[in-house]
Amino acid sequence: MKYLNLLMVALTISFIACNEEENDVPIVATETGSLKVQFDHRVGKAEMKLSEEGSTTYAYTDAKGQQFNLTRFGYYVSKIKLEGPNGELYEDEMKVGASAEDVKGYYHVLESDAASQFITLKGVPSGKYNKVTFTLGVDEDGMKDGAVGGVLDPAEGAWFWNWNAGYIGFIMEGASPDSPQEEVDGGGFKIYANSFAIHVGGWKEVEPLEGQPKKFTNNVKVLTLDFDADITVSPKLGPKAHIIVDALKILDRGEVDFSTTYAVHSPVLGKPIAEQLSGAFILDHTHQ
Amino acid sequence: MPYGLSRACLAIGLACSLSSLVFACTSEKEAIAPSKALFEFAKPTNFPEPIYTFESNPITEEGFRLGRKLFFDPILSSDGSVSCNNCHIQSNAFADAQQHPFSVGVDNRIGKRNAPPLMNLAFMKEFFWDGGVTHLDFVPINAIESDVEMNETLAEVIKKLNAHPEYPMLFEEVFGSEEVTSPFMLQALSQFMLMLVSADTRYDRFQRGVGEELSTEESIGLQLFKEKCANCHQGELFSDFSYRNNGIGTTDKDPGRSAITDTESDFGKFRVPSLRNVALTAPYMHNAKFATLEEVMDHYDRGVVDSPTLDPILKNEGILGISISEDEKKSIIAFLRTLTDHAFRLDSRFQNP
Ligand code: HEC
Ligand code: HEC
Repeated sequence: MKYLNLLMVALTISFIACNEEENDVPIVATETGSLKVQFDHRVGKAEMKLSEEGSTTYAYTDAKGQQFNLTRFGYYVSKIKLEGPNGELYEDEMKVGASAEDVKGYYHVLESDAASQFITLKGVPSGKYNKVTFTLGVDEDGMKDGAVGGVLDPAEGAWFWNWNAGYIGFIMEGASPDSPQEEVDGGGFKIYANSFAIHVGGWKEVEPLEGQPKKFTNNVKVLTLDFDADITVSPKLGPKAHIIVDALKILDRGEVDFSTTYAVHSPVLGKPIAEQLSGAFILDHTHQ
Repeated sequence: MPYGLSRACLAIGLACSLSSLVFACTSEKEAIAPSKALFEFAKPTNFPEPIYTFESNPITEEGFRLGRKLFFDPILSSDGSVSCNNCHIQSNAFADAQQHPFSVGVDNRIGKRNAPPLMNLAFMKEFFWDGGVTHLDFVPINAIESDVEMNETLAEVIKKLNAHPEYPMLFEEVFGSEEVTSPFMLQALSQFMLMLVSADTRYDRFQRGVGEELSTEESIGLQLFKEKCANCHQGELFSDFSYRNNGIGTTDKDPGRSAITDTESDFGKFRVPSLRNVALTAPYMHNAKFATLEEVMDHYDRGVVDSPTLDPILKNEGILGISISEDEKKSIIAFLRTLTDHAFRLDSRFQNP
């Protein structure tokens, strides 16, 4: 049956192909251009600045009045899509493979790596665009083929949970005098006193059987941000979309209390944070 | 005659090529490993379709050999003392040694679960007692990075392999890249482990009707097994690969499946293990609770502990356990022993060359 289907598909394709030839439809060389997406990390109004691990200087204060600093901040962006008012559509190529060069469409955006905060989408069909959609985290497509390379390679800095296999989609680490975390010297790794680690992962989406509870916590989020104005992509125009990511919004809206939330290392614990992520990504402005 | 056949084919060309296509595909998949294809993955005829994503990691002889070298090489551990083979021993169907109910890693640190046998991994959708790992490639990262197993980081292992006199060349041969990277290392290990197919037991030969007979006691045991055990230890792999609580007692120390599904009703549930080679894999259960198959039988008969997530099959009409007479226990055990694959234990392909 499978083969029959395949054959039918093959036949249909060749049929279509023949048709096109007969009608002699001219192939329009669609013009393309590029669009740059910039992620700009802030803590409220302040530019985000990372502290050294172990630092006891606290530059920021949240709505609860708890002081904190940040030592690590970042996330995975994937499946970027641009859409326009007249049906314009661009979907970033998605691919995985064991070789780093075979991994496409996954971006590991890190506060510690300025270059990672700029994503240039190339080959975008000329036209008007008014919104961007992307996935925050790595969903099943990044997991189902097994070990893959590039920004998804755990030996190259990819964020991966071993025991409950999956990528950590978002990380915020730092310290707060309110965190009761005690120092741990793990021989090879160290957890500092008063530090906090918020790791958000969990990607399994499984429909429950009838009468059963929904299992697994899926913290992968799809975000759509409207542009402030239509922007035009063409071979000559390389517009930019500037997205602000506000760490304070995540903490305040999630009502994070560092005295209880300081070691988030499982999908279920990460859920309240994951729920705040979409509100923390704000399309600030676009440049034509 | 060939003429007549091809004439017919011309007339209904499409159907013919279609059927030969179907034929080619099925016959290839169902073949039992021909001796020349020692390093090709072959699905045993009585097994279900494999689940592993061979498209992204096709097995080659060189890849298998590289994976085998890695499997036996303590370079994967932090102090160079522990290889995969320390806890997964061929003569035990790649389960751990009997004297290690809980696996022992570097510095003799003790893990919390009994190492399962490694066999027929291509047919499994999830790994570990709680199913926390969804692809075979990801399994070794756990062993390498676990502080109670090999206590090494993946990045450090890759560094060591790149600095090694032989490995870069071997990786180049297999993957076309002299730079050793973690996905290639994990794929090589998978290639070795995928070939660990165990399907040549007396039971299998009996099933395939190739001249093997079961004794009366074994046949009775098989019948009893089908009645009393096969609703969980189902099919030719002797597991439905679901997660259940079989009444060995639950503890907060190891919540099992619920830590993966975030669902309270999965507390204390563990994967139904395959029972192939079970006579070789003592002690039994995720927590190594029982030393012998006799103890396991006694457990199902009268040791089942009630708890909120106990499998309903083990609490039929309010009665705990499955009643099994002493004679029946002997028969079931006799049957379980027909599931030992001696050829697998001795297969020279799986030995450290
Ligand atoms: C210190 C002992 C130890 C070492 C060394 C070790 N393992 Fe394991 N292995 C275990 C234990 C224990 C489990 C079960 C873990 C669990 O279920 O939580 C396991 C499970 C597995 C599984 C899953 C089997 C199943 O049925 O789900 C595979 C595959 C595996 N190990 C492969 C390897 C490989 C490859 C290596 C070397 C890189 C390795 N192991 C090194 C102890 C060990
Ligand atoms: C309700 C489902 C269920 C039934 C019925 C059942 N089992 Fe099990 N069996 C399991 C589960 C689940 C485990 C693993 C439990 C654990 O480790 O927490 C297991 C483990 C075992 C093990 C240990 C295997 C190993 O490698 O450690 C043996 C042996 C076994 N069962 C034999 C039997 C026999 C024989 C019967 C029939 C008398 C039977 N089981 C009936 C679910 C079941």
